[in-house]
Amino acid sequence: MNAVPFSLRRVVITGLGFVTPIGNDRSTVTAHLRAGRHGLAPVVFLGNPNLPVKVAGTVKDFTVDSTSWRDWRWPAEYEIPRETLRGLAPHGVYALCAVMQALRDAGLSEEAVAGDDATGLFCASAGSAMMLHHNLAQLHAVRGERGNPMGVVSSIAGTLNFNLAAHFRITGAVCGFVSACASASHALGYACDEIQLGRLRRVIVVGAEELNAETLLPFAAMRALSSASDPVLASRPFDQGRDGFVGAGGAVVLILEEAGLAAERGARIQAEVAGWGQAADGHSMAVSHPGGAGLRLAMQRALAQSGVKPGEVDYVNAHGTSTQVGDRAEALALRSLFTEAGARPRVSSTKALTGHPLSLAGAMEAAFCVLALTEGFIPGNPHLVTPDPACEGLDLPRAAVDRAPRIVLNNSSGFGGSNVCHVLRTPAESPA
Amino acid sequence: MASLLGKMLPPSVSDSIAQLQRFPLEIRDAYRSFRSTGDIAALHMVVLAVVRDYMPQPAETPLTDEMRLIEDLGYDSLAVAETVFFLEDLLQVRIENKELLQVRTVGELRGFVTRKVEQKPPAAA
Repeated sequence: MNAVPFSLRRVVITGLGFVTPIGNDRSTVTAHLRAGRHGLAPVVFLGNPNLPVKVAGTVKDFTVDSTSWRDWRWPAEYEIPRETLRGLAPHGVYALCAVMQALRDAGLSEEAVAGDDATGLFCASAGSAMMLHHNLAQLHAVRGERGNPMGVVSSIAGTLNFNLAAHFRITGAVCGFVSACASASHALGYACDEIQLGRLRRVIVVGAEELNAETLLPFAAMRALSSASDPVLASRPFDQGRDGFVGAGGAVVLILEEAGLAAERGARIQAEVAGWGQAADGHSMAVSHPGGAGLRLAMQRALAQSGVKPGEVDYVNAHGTSTQVGDRAEALALRSLFTEAGARPRVSSTKALTGHPLSLAGAMEAAFCVLALTEGFIPGNPHLVTPDPACEGLDLPRAAVDRAPRIVLNNSSGFGGSNVCHVLRTPAESPA
Repeated sequence: MASLLGKMLPPSVSDSIAQLQRFPLEIRDAYRSFRSTGDIAALHMVVLAVVRDYMPQPAETPLTDEMRLIEDLGYDSLAVAETVFFLEDLLQVRIENKELLQVRTVGELRGFVTRKVEQKPPAAA
């Protein structure tokens, strides 16, 4: 087992996989982030053009809108056996492809992780409301007399962990995380802990989300979604005129490894997770604390674990979903932590480009932070015209900044006042 | 009796044909033939096609009665359950867990489904 003491064990990121509204590979995603090019498209749900949901962050080159896997299509470069397909939810297809892509990016074969007791799999997913609804409707139609044997594994909140662990023959550990829009950030945070504790040496961190009527429309009922039909106006985090978030789907995967393992196999170290923190609002089941108290404490804890001072942070990838209350709370938390300490990191919410993929958000944006660190740029806020006065003093660049950040923060907040923050840094910044 | 078998199966033929949409035309025709004439040979064709359709690792080898679902065809218990669920829905029969335990080969499944369909009480007119 790993003999390195806890305090010296470092967690590094060696692979990324993307199935997102702004691209299904690393270079396309990077190009969109650099250019400020969004991936939102017109949508009609339930055949009803009158719904106040007009655009969404759609996933391209995948067709998974049917409840039958036999109708699904995905890019030819990924081979998915029937044995695996039969138990998947639609977002499981995104996730499976993103894992394959991330393993390749990390220089790992599927054989290398299969049956390896040092490799774990942590997933974030809310399950598939569409599959659940379909399966239960079938069950009701026959008064409970029979049901789809794959109904449970293809729909409930653990669907990603069940299926991916079986497909990739994961033996180290498998676990799922459900904290709404902070889910994938929790998966990443606890993956770091498992590696630092020496229980695992590698964790495949997966976030995925479906984009369909069953997932998204319940948020319209909460009046949380933008009703704008112009993508540029629909998702505009921190803008005074924002009117709600734009839904999105996809999957993103990060391969986390203990630095020693990455070095042993000569892997390319893309970034280090210097630390993470979490805290809760204690305020509302769905609405952020008005002053962003929980998020501020989560950021403080992440910085403390990392040994990083506010003034050393170059960039914050904000949660910023484009809702009135949430963006304001985050702006106040950022001001309280940074502005009051005389620090002025660049801040942007990439949800302007992607929309908000709920459970997936934390993993997707952590991976965007890794791209910023490795490719040497800071994503901008291309849809921001008039910043909310709550943002006074924050540096919210409109266009991407052509400057390499060294230390970045990734924020996530979920229902129930769940807040998570990661600190990532370039390997060069890591203490010896 | 046999000639009535197909006719007493709810729901309508067109609903059931929709369930068979992914199967080749000859299988859908066989099902129609079973439903209109009670032709058991036609029903067997459908059962074999369903067995092949749910194999976790598809293969083109011809299916024989002696083949064991799990040992020879790569079925696992979930695939058995999927096959049974599909046949229950298609043929409007109910198959109990303890009955399932007695079905190990393709031939046993074929015979079992035939008996199930024959036992089925006639639907109300």
